[in-house]
Amino acid sequence: MLDVGRHPNIELMAYTHVERGEGQSGDFTVTVRRKARYVEEDRCTGCGACAEKCPTVVSDAFNEGLGTRRAIYSWFAQGIPSTHTIDPDHCRQLNGKKCGVCKKTCQADAINFDQEDRVVELHVGAIIAATGYEVFDPSIIPEYQYKEIANVVTALEFERLLSASGPTGGHLDRPSDLAIEADIEALEKKAKRSQRALDKFEEKYDEASPEFYEKYQNGEYGHDEDRKKWASKYGAHMAIAEPLEALRRRAEGFAVAKRLAFIQCVGSRDFRFYPFCSSYCCMHSIKEAIIAHEHEPETTSTIFGMDIRAVGKGFEEYKVRGGNKSAITYVRGRVAEITEAPDHNPVIWYEDTCERRVKSQEFDMVVLATACAPGKGIKELTQVLGIKINEFGFLKTNPSQPLDTTRPGIFTCGCAYGPMDIPESVAQASGAAARVAQILSEFEMRKAS
Amino acid sequence: MNKEILVIGGGIAGIQSSLDLGEMGFKVHMVERLPSIGGKMAQLDKTFPTNDCAI
Repeated sequence: MLDVGRHPNIELMAYTHVERGEGQSGDFTVTVRRKARYVEEDRCTGCGACAEKCPTVVSDAFNEGLGTRRAIYSWFAQGIPSTHTIDPDHCRQLNGKKCGVCKKTCQADAINFDQEDRVVELHVGAIIAATGYEVFDPSIIPEYQYKEIANVVTALEFERLLSASGPTGGHLDRPSDLAIEADIEALEKKAKRSQRALDKFEEKYDEASPEFYEKYQNGEYGHDEDRKKWASKYGAHMAIAEPLEALRRRAEGFAVAKRLAFIQCVGSRDFRFYPFCSSYCCMHSIKEAIIAHEHEPETTSTIFGMDIRAVGKGFEEYKVRGGNKSAITYVRGRVAEITEAPDHNPVIWYEDTCERRVKSQEFDMVVLATACAPGKGIKELTQVLGIKINEFGFLKTNPSQPLDTTRPGIFTCGCAYGPMDIPESVAQASGAAARVAQILSEFEMRKAS
Repeated sequence: MNKEILVIGGGIAGIQSSLDLGEMGFKVHMVERLPSIGGKMAQLDKTFPTNDCAI
C-alpha cells in the first residue's frame, strides 16, 4: 500500500468515482469525479488532532459498524493516503450548525469547508477494472437470525473483533456484551450529570440526599419549593442509578467468547441466493478459528459445512493442523436454524450427516461465512465503460482470454472477475498488468514498422 | 496511442497491477472509491495459510 503512495509512476486518486468512459483500446477518455474531502490533501499531515476534537460520533464502516469514528476521520489508521476526510452527512459545520472545531485544531491549516468536487479528465490507453466484491448481507436468510441475535456475526465482523487494531483491541468480546457496556457508559454519563445537580443541593442544605429524601417523604419539609425540586432530582437520579447498578452486576460476569461456531456457505452454494462457491470462506473460517485459539488457548471451534474445500498450496495441511492443534471440530452438515438461549448464547440446530441425527449445540458466538457477492457499484461501472457482466453479476470474460472483458483494452482481475482468495487475486493482477503491457507495446511496434 | 493506464479499484488486485505496471515504466492512474486504498484485505487481521499480517 505504502509503495503505491510513493511510486513516482502511480498517481493515486482516492475518494474518487468514475463518471464517464469513451474511446477505444489505445485511446480512452475517462472522466472521474474527485469528491470533496473538505481537507486539503497537500497540507494534511494525517496527525489526527482534528478527529480527537471532533464532537460528532459516527458508526465506523471500516470496523463493520462495531466501533465508532468521528465526522472527520481517516478510513483506517494506516490508510494511504493518510489525508483525513470530512463526512458531509454528519459534519455539524457542513449541515449548517455552528462548529468548526477541526479547523481551529488543525495546525497545518488543511481544513477547507468550501472545497468542491473536482472533475478530472484522464487520457489512457488501457483500463483495468479491479473493483472487488461486496460481503453478502445475511439478514435476508430468516433461519440464521443475523439481525435478531446479537452474537451471530459475519466473518468480516469477526475479523475486526480479532484484530489488534479493531474496536476491541483483539479481545473476543461478544457483541451482546459490548452493547451492554455501551449502555453502562451512556447511563454513567447521565448519572454523573444528575449527581452534580444533587451535589449542589447537598452543599446548600448540608445534608446527604438519601437522608433528605427519607425526611421529605415523611413530610418533614412541608411544601418548600426548592426542596421539592431536590426531591424530584433525587428521584430521577435513582431511576438512572438503579438500572445502572443492575447492568454493572451483569457486566461482572462477562467473559470473552470461547465456544465458537462457524457456518459455511452462507448465501453461496444456495439456490435462493448465489449458486456458486465463494472459494475462500472455508480457509477463512479455519484461519479465524486458529487465530482465536492463538489469542485464547481455551477456545474451541466447530465448523459446520457441507464439505471443507481446502484447495490450494498448503491449504489441506493448514486445515489438518487446525484440527490437531487449534481445537477445531469439522462437522459435515448444513445448519437448519439458529435460536437464542438465555445469556444471549446462540444455539445451532443441525443435522449431523455422519450420524444421521438432528442435533443442537449452544455456543458463545456464531460466525457466518458470508458469500462473495458482486460489488454494488459494478452494474453502474459496466454501463459507464460499456462492458458486460455474467449471469452472477461479475464481469464477463472469455474463457480463452480470462482477463479480457467484453471490450478490447479493458481488463479485469481479482474479485471483480469472480470469487477468489488473496494469492489468486495477486497472480491475476500481475496477469492483467502483463496483458496491458502487451497490448500497449503492440501498438508501439505497429507504429514503428 | 496513449501509454497511460487507468486502474479502477485500490484493493489488493488493483494495488498489485498498478505496482507491476509502474515498475514496467508505465504511468498509472489509480482510482479508489473510498478515502484510502487497501480494500477488503486491509480489514483482515491475518491471512491464510501463513498467518501473515494483512497490512
